[in-house]
Amino acid sequence: MERHNTVWRVALLTPPLTVFAVFVIWPLFSSFFYSVTNWNGFGSEYDFVGLDNFAKIFTDKLFMNAAINTTIWMVAAIVVPTLCGLGLALLLDGKVPGGRAFKTVFYLPICLSAVIVGQIWTWIYQPDWGLLNTMISIVTGEKMRYAWLAKPDTALGSVILAWSWQQTGLSMVIYLAGLTAIPEDLLEVCEIEGAKLWQRILFVVLPLLTPSTVVVIALSVINSLKGFDILYIMTGGGPFNSSDTLAMHMYNESFRKYLMGYGSAISVVLFLIALTIIGIYFRQLKKVDRIYG
Amino acid sequence: MFSITRRSLMLAALLASTAGVAGPAFADAGEVTISHYFTGELGLQAFNEQVQKFEQASGIKMRESPVGHEDFKTDILVRAAGHSLPDVFSYWAGARVDFIVKSKSLRPIDDMWASAKLDSVVAKPIADSATLYDGKRFLVPFNYHYAGVFYNKKVLADAGMTAPPATWDAFISLCKTLKEKGIAPVALGSKNRWPAQFWFDYLLLRTAGPDYRAKLMAGEASYDDPQVVAAMSLWKELLDQGFFVENANADDWTDAADKVARGDAAMTLMGTWITGYWNGVGLVAGQDYDFFPFPKIKDGIPNAAVGPVDGLVISANAANPEGAEKFLAFMMSDPDVQAKWAEAQGALSANVNVDPKAYNSVMQSAAKTVAEADTFAFNYDLATTPPVAEVGLSMFTRFIDDPSKLDGILKAVAVDAKAAFKQ
Repeated sequence: MERHNTVWRVALLTPPLTVFAVFVIWPLFSSFFYSVTNWNGFGSEYDFVGLDNFAKIFTDKLFMNAAINTTIWMVAAIVVPTLCGLGLALLLDGKVPGGRAFKTVFYLPICLSAVIVGQIWTWIYQPDWGLLNTMISIVTGEKMRYAWLAKPDTALGSVILAWSWQQTGLSMVIYLAGLTAIPEDLLEVCEIEGAKLWQRILFVVLPLLTPSTVVVIALSVINSLKGFDILYIMTGGGPFNSSDTLAMHMYNESFRKYLMGYGSAISVVLFLIALTIIGIYFRQLKKVDRIYG
Repeated sequence: MFSITRRSLMLAALLASTAGVAGPAFADAGEVTISHYFTGELGLQAFNEQVQKFEQASGIKMRESPVGHEDFKTDILVRAAGHSLPDVFSYWAGARVDFIVKSKSLRPIDDMWASAKLDSVVAKPIADSATLYDGKRFLVPFNYHYAGVFYNKKVLADAGMTAPPATWDAFISLCKTLKEKGIAPVALGSKNRWPAQFWFDYLLLRTAGPDYRAKLMAGEASYDDPQVVAAMSLWKELLDQGFFVENANADDWTDAADKVARGDAAMTLMGTWITGYWNGVGLVAGQDYDFFPFPKIKDGIPNAAVGPVDGLVISANAANPEGAEKFLAFMMSDPDVQAKWAEAQGALSANVNVDPKAYNSVMQSAAKTVAEADTFAFNYDLATTPPVAEVGLSMFTRFIDDPSKLDGILKAVAVDAKAAFKQ
């Protein structure tokens, strides 16, 4: 019987593991391999250059620019959707008129692909007839033609706003689920004891929402690390690299400059950053499990 | 004794699907795989029609995978990296083909060129500049384009233009008249960077000449040389006087074309593919729009025409090289295929047997302009190596965003380009 089960386990696991090995593990090790070469992506000839590609990272102005933008992107991608999602969840929790409709509307963007979201917001930011400039023109009475995505000062922020608009719905749903787990009588006791609304939120609700916050932040970090497509659609890293992130920079070096070896070195660095963040996340998750589990 | 059960069937299916993942896919002997960027407004339907003619004539089945123009640049590299290049693919003649020739990823086509007698079919200037790499032929010039100043005829007629500006002073004067009438003289859509390159190309070619430009493209001159500063300063004067549309970096080339078509702007410096786009939206060549060559700026400088050449190449590891060669020879040699394709694409044919009457009046003028030019130069991102082109293309958009920083931009680009040439 046991042998029979083992055969089944192997049979069922083989297809997904094969796919995982071919599409994840093998490319990962290929990146490690090519990161110590000067391969250009075409042909099969290359030389081993040791750690030259990694040394180049430290003198690459565009890498530093991309690293700073990635940090801004990640911090904003964690803070903005988390706070907005929490705020919406607190507003829509309980018996709010039209609450279900609002929840649906706020959750809807997460069902769209990043490409569609990017295209919608590109139209919103369009300088001549976009929704944003039109609204500003109506309010101020002066024709507004600012090119939000084409100016280096606002390109990255504009994409972050679009990204946050999409991600907020996910945070909201997770917090709404967390709020249902908070006993109502506990909040009633606090109210009877004279705790004001902000005190109930700050000292009771938020601490009890810690498991939800951990999940929201983890998903935000993972999603922000994957946040390449929306940038590619909206700015392509431009104008002149002002919205480049590390993923975008890796793409440019590999596929636009044909420096696949150097691009692989950047991908290895990006992989190590992701690994570190995920490691920290799992440690925190264990702590939360110990306290709340 | 084996008995077939539902479980064993499922197991077999699972194993079969796993084997399918690992198994390589081979093209049939009578089949040629092809990938190209002739999609959407660039004439996928017309391309397929010509491919069908080849299939009927040869009995060879073409298996196609068209990819959008911008995405193609990445897609073909991914396929090369995976050692799965198609038998035939489209590519841009110049530095990019040179790059993959040096990577030994292409198959020479000298024998096919000789047997198909392409010497007597392909226009010599195009054959010399676009097909030869390291002394061998690797590409057939499927079509080529010419970059000129395309304009809205009604707008320029209303502005009092009786003859196209042949000199720089006449061009400036025209721009001033248009601006006074409240019309943006020049539309540019540099969101994807490359549309800005034609301004740099022509300003440098018309002031410093083709020889200096070739040196700059090869890394034998510097971006902070007086010649580059002079060319960019002319561009800066145009921007400072407000002759370009606002927010050029926010627009695509089709947005700029639309602005000219609507009459919001008067002119745009673009390749002949804009005629295919305009014809597709109902504009009539010679009636609604026309073009003039980029004006002369300095005496004694050879007259250069700028544009890209779209080619078809065969990968070094093609599964069906004979079929691929037949396809290239057919697509290049057949004047009917070339004429129909050029018309749909808004392109010019390098086939000397194509009747000029096959073109509309604007394209006939474009063909004549190229024929009369002293030299044909590839546009910037096809004339210099990809890493340097990336530096330069970003320079153009940075400069358009803030022309006052020109000196600093050129100094930085000189350093970056020098480093990029070493990569």
